[in-house]
Amino acid sequence: MPRPFRIALLLAPSALLMGVFAVGLVRLIASSMVIDGQIDLSLYSDILHRADYVAMLGRTLRIAALTTLVSVLIGFPTAYFVARYRGNRNFLLLLIIFPWLVSIVVRSYGWVVILGPRGLVNGIVTATGLADRPLKLMYNDFGVILGLVHVLLPFMIIAILSVLLQIPRSLEEASMSLGGRPAYSFRTVVLPLALPGVLTGITLVYLMSTGAIVTPLLLGGLGNTMIGTEIFQEVMHFFDYPKAAALATVLLATALAVVLPLQILERHLTRRLSDGGDL
Amino acid sequence: MTRAIAILVLMFLPLPIVIVVLSSFTSAGYLSFPIKGLSLRWYAEFLGSANWLSVMGTSALLALIGALVSTAASLAAAWAVVRHRIRFGTAWETLLLTPLIFPHAAIGVIMIVTLAGLGWLGTFAGLVLVHCILTVPYAYRPVAAALRKADPALEEAAASLGARPWRTFWLVSLPAVRPGLVTSLLFSFIISFDEVTVTLFLVGPFVMTLPVQVFSEVLESASPVIAAVSATLVLFTSAMVFILDRVIGIQFFVERD
Repeated sequence: MPRPFRIALLLAPSALLMGVFAVGLVRLIASSMVIDGQIDLSLYSDILHRADYVAMLGRTLRIAALTTLVSVLIGFPTAYFVARYRGNRNFLLLLIIFPWLVSIVVRSYGWVVILGPRGLVNGIVTATGLADRPLKLMYNDFGVILGLVHVLLPFMIIAILSVLLQIPRSLEEASMSLGGRPAYSFRTVVLPLALPGVLTGITLVYLMSTGAIVTPLLLGGLGNTMIGTEIFQEVMHFFDYPKAAALATVLLATALAVVLPLQILERHLTRRLSDGGDL
Repeated sequence: MTRAIAILVLMFLPLPIVIVVLSSFTSAGYLSFPIKGLSLRWYAEFLGSANWLSVMGTSALLALIGALVSTAASLAAAWAVVRHRIRFGTAWETLLLTPLIFPHAAIGVIMIVTLAGLGWLGTFAGLVLVHCILTVPYAYRPVAAALRKADPALEEAAASLGARPWRTFWLVSLPAVRPGLVTSLLFSFIISFDEVTVTLFLVGPFVMTLPVQVFSEVLESASPVIAAVSATLVLFTSAMVFILDRVIGIQFFVERD
């Protein structure tokens, strides 16, 4: 078989899958802005002129930003701890990877059981007399952010950990033996080297929290919509596909506006680091 | 401080899963935690329900076919990129990973449009296609990494000793990338078996998956049977993780090539 033909045959299956995806993407955008064969952006101006949609978009960005922030703040120390752990690291990895691979439906449902009016926390609170009525722990932003952090934190930890594990411990020790205080060595040696992993983690968590449906719906309810739950409603309850397509395009735009610069920065940093240059 | 945060996080991550599994053994007719009494009645209800079992069968079959197709497609692509060193190899690899940078809710609508165009909305074939697209980014990396590690000299040796290309492929190349293949298969199987955000847009009266069914039941009722089904999903995932750990080691997930 001639080489070009063989290569074409090898690439055909994956090309077909990606082609289907690409065509779908184009058709999605087209179906949101071409109405009766003409370009018509009225769906978008409707979205931007309705106060409830603007509030929903703001809420989505706020929740995604908070989820990402909390995930970095608790994910980094966890990854650092696991990377430097001298005992059975595989067990710690299992505690991160196993929950990550359990379906998000099951994990979000677990939080419903914990935070619900008859759940674990309220059981303790009412039994000990800390409160006489069950606390409202879900169907609000708190529940949604808690659930999203739980569902997405493994992505953050894995992204940071895979970079930290590549940094030789001796580098940090060299810095300290030359008189650098631990905090100084951490800031000047570990942090810059770990930055690409942190950026990957931020990208993934932000992306997945803006596009989440299951966790916000189960823990936030239908009242506190995010863009994902709004899309879900448009499709499943109102069968308004053009509106759903417009919202999905808005979601794509807001996600890519944050993700692409982060990805470019991450590549730039990785290249700088592998060239051995300064940051 | 670092230590305290890390320990709390490592306890926090498995917590809701443990709670779901424990609460599935309740004897009460409603879900509460701590549970009221021990019983297996919700497992009996789950395993006695033809509907739940057929949905579980659909999910397993979907994940199996999806994993086989996307692993095969990934192996073929990796073969072209690694062995034939095609000119746009890096670009192709990036392309295969692009579904990862799309938010799931948006992918869901993209797939509605796609499957509606093909007339495959609410069909099993449609779900297979979508799950292949979703799992290729996960399936590609392990096979490509295994292929990079395998020594092409072995294949050349087999060929120079007179083995035909297919025989070389079956007896030399394939065994060399076996750990990568098994990892890809298991990883895609898990991703597909657990997928819900995209799939919930694409199911219909004739086809339903287990996680989507769990999702709609949680929205509509509070029956503890959901906990029993969820615990079964957890059991499935544990088995896959156990095999993955045995085949390639759990550190695979935090390694960079």
